[in-house]
Amino acid sequence: MAAIEVRDLRKTFKVQKNREGLKGAFLDLFKREYNEVAAVKDISFQIPEGEICGYIGENGAGKSTTIKMLTGILVPTSGHLKVGGFVPYAEREKFVQHIGVVFGQRSQLWWDIGVIESFELLRKVYRVPQDEYKKRLDELVERLQLQELLNRPVRKLSLGQRMRCELVAALLHNPSIVFLDEPTIGLDIVVKSEIRDFLKDMNREHGTTILLTTHDLQDIEALCSRVIMLDDGRIIYDGGLEELKDRWGTGKEVLFQFGTATKLDQLRGWTGALPVIWTAENDLNAKVWIPRDIGVSEVLGQVVGQADITDIKIIETNTDEIVRSIYQSGSADKPADTDAESKEGAVIHV
Amino acid sequence: MYYLGLMGEYLKNYMKTRMTYRADFWVEVISDLLFQATNLIFIFVIFMHTNSLGGWSESEVVFVYGFFMVPFGVFSCFVNLWNFSERYIVKGEMDRIMTRPAYNLFQIFLENVDPPALVGSIIGGIIMVISGGQLGLSFEWWTIPALLLFTLSAVAIYTGIYTTLTSLSFYSDAPTGILPLMYNVQGYGRYPVTIYNRAIQVLLTWILPFAFVGVYPASLFLEREEMRQMAWLTPLVGLVFLAIGLTSWNYGVKRYRGAGS
Amino acid sequence: MSNQWGAYLDFIRIRFLTMLAYRVNYYSGILIYSLNIGVYYFTWKAIYGSGGELGGFTASQMTTYLAVSWMARAFYFNNLDREISTDIRDGSIAIQFIRPYNYLIVKMMQGFGEGMFRFIMLMVPGMAIAMLLFPVKLPNEASAWAGFLVMLFFSFLINSQLNVITGLMSFFVENNEGFMRMKRVVVDLFSGLIIPISLFPGWLGGIMSFLPFQAITYLPGSVFTGRIQGASIWNVLGIQVIWFVILLIPMIGLYRASRKRLFVQGG
Repeated sequence: MAAIEVRDLRKTFKVQKNREGLKGAFLDLFKREYNEVAAVKDISFQIPEGEICGYIGENGAGKSTTIKMLTGILVPTSGHLKVGGFVPYAEREKFVQHIGVVFGQRSQLWWDIGVIESFELLRKVYRVPQDEYKKRLDELVERLQLQELLNRPVRKLSLGQRMRCELVAALLHNPSIVFLDEPTIGLDIVVKSEIRDFLKDMNREHGTTILLTTHDLQDIEALCSRVIMLDDGRIIYDGGLEELKDRWGTGKEVLFQFGTATKLDQLRGWTGALPVIWTAENDLNAKVWIPRDIGVSEVLGQVVGQADITDIKIIETNTDEIVRSIYQSGSADKPADTDAESKEGAVIHV
Repeated sequence: MYYLGLMGEYLKNYMKTRMTYRADFWVEVISDLLFQATNLIFIFVIFMHTNSLGGWSESEVVFVYGFFMVPFGVFSCFVNLWNFSERYIVKGEMDRIMTRPAYNLFQIFLENVDPPALVGSIIGGIIMVISGGQLGLSFEWWTIPALLLFTLSAVAIYTGIYTTLTSLSFYSDAPTGILPLMYNVQGYGRYPVTIYNRAIQVLLTWILPFAFVGVYPASLFLEREEMRQMAWLTPLVGLVFLAIGLTSWNYGVKRYRGAGS
Repeated sequence: MSNQWGAYLDFIRIRFLTMLAYRVNYYSGILIYSLNIGVYYFTWKAIYGSGGELGGFTASQMTTYLAVSWMARAFYFNNLDREISTDIRDGSIAIQFIRPYNYLIVKMMQGFGEGMFRFIMLMVPGMAIAMLLFPVKLPNEASAWAGFLVMLFFSFLINSQLNVITGLMSFFVENNEGFMRMKRVVVDLFSGLIIPISLFPGWLGGIMSFLPFQAITYLPGSVFTGRIQGASIWNVLGIQVIWFVILLIPMIGLYRASRKRLFVQGG
């Protein structure tokens, strides 16, 4: 049975038009005008039980609107929707008993008191029997190493500690389907990988279905067997991650820092045989773009022996960029040659 | 039972939160009382210049005020919607509420409990005892049950009105300005409404029935015959307005789920 | 310099436009202000009973005083204390402090934009409604109006100064909510909005004359209702100016201390 079933799901919003200037504001005071905007446009997909699926797309693509419909917060404008055997918006209070939700940027914990108090409260809210709660909490606390944090107030926790507690809070009632909205946003690499491991284990041991949105390709790589990509309210890709990367990945970028001045021409000379693109800000910093079908080591091998390198940084393409390149190409075909210049955004992101 | 258990749990958490900021508790109590005191000062100052307000003596008006404070304290403790628009709509916490398996409005009430407000109820009770003593009011077997009934009914009226107004947050950009203004209006129910002209009396009786949180029910204890019937209407008005409040709230939530934030 | 002030003036304009967007507030505002005036009108009518004079006010002067005070409140009232306190609590004040303008002046300008909005959109129509419903008598001389507008401006300044001071206190007390509530209550009562100060018992009235609150409502209201006339009007204006200057001291002091606290001790 599919854990999540979506057919022709659509959501439109009425957006108020603001007229310009003082006169417009006066007019708005007495008569408002609205525009209809479709945030999600007739999407369909199915997620079988026990799958971890990444739900990606640029901001405003319709990701959170979909998540809000799947979690019973929003009522769809039209279409068919079934999550864990429930129609989320119709049987909200019964339905949410079976799901767990984490919004990465919003806390569900009490700010001023020990984390454990929030857990106790959620136990009551979700009507978890005491012994079951105890077992579950022990398991989660041990797995996420929260022993020392339990009595600390949330405001005294670091972001990583808080996120681990948020996960526990969302999972205390042992939901069979979990929605994670940007669960790793703002976390450092160590915590990120801890959380990924945890989610993977949970999926394996309990067969939990997970749908997560993220901007971090590494989240997807580590967790998801499947990716659904959204753009402008429509699904533009639904399938395996490897295939996506093969089709859309634009390669890697490597940043070099040199100890002694190194000219661009020199660099180009060393890698002359390879279809890579060099750019440089000055003689001490340079950047090379490497297409997917060429190994990074191949390029590094050419440079390392010859130049005086003080630092190397490898930058992987992220999902945003893949989406952007799909979007720019305008169709589902493989993108034309991407030049390194268009990827400035990716560097900032990393 | 489930909801009672939840209430206990939320209150416990409130207390624990407050332990960290103990001084705040008292600042809040004092500011609440100061607010009540200004109204009492108004009454005292008025009666320095007159003997009767529309046929009501100073002790009677003070007694009404004492009664007024009791349900108001209970209401302020359990129904605190001042920040709703900002906290739940603008900052988006409503989404979290919606992913929990309990009635959403009840969750919001519980997350905002404000026990210091109950001190006002206690003071109100004391004022009733003192001014009642001055008036030589008799204490009957039905006094306490009636007081409880009227308090609950008045709380229902407040809850109904404020829930209705707050549910406007689901429609409008920021109706928050209405609530403080309503705060002004509700106070008018603690004076003998017969001093106002017909329009305002109708308003305070049937439209924003704040006369039922003060002068009407209190008049029963004061044995003022002219308002006896109105006093007994209090529970009915409470039920009706609570129903209106819950209906418009549910309607607002429905709209929220249709439109998002 | 002129550019700088251009930017400040823009804050007035933007706040004015913002207020226009909140139409529910606008409609309800007119309604409730009229209702407030109405309720107090009938309360005072009941107090006056057959006639006479209370605290130097005749019944008809009291009606005018009431309408004028509430309408003045529409102009001078603002939530600067709450806005500043919110800025401090969510930390956005740090950004405000490093911007190339003076935070306090910006706040004052925003308050003024709000005041202007209510003056034009609420006070003027509200006054018209009040005059239709109740026997409000406004003066005919242009000088009284000019004087009133000047005093109204000072009411705004003094009230906003008190708001800024209460708001900035959030830097130094854990939970400023209680103080802000107290301030609001105290201003409404002691400014003479609810009861003209001349009706207070003598000792309380005496204390009031040493506090800034009467300069917000009572004094300008007394001038406009014709209770204070001639050269004494200048006294009233003088008191307002003095309070404006005196209140600058704690306001600027607190502002400096806040900056210091933010930048030296890191919030």
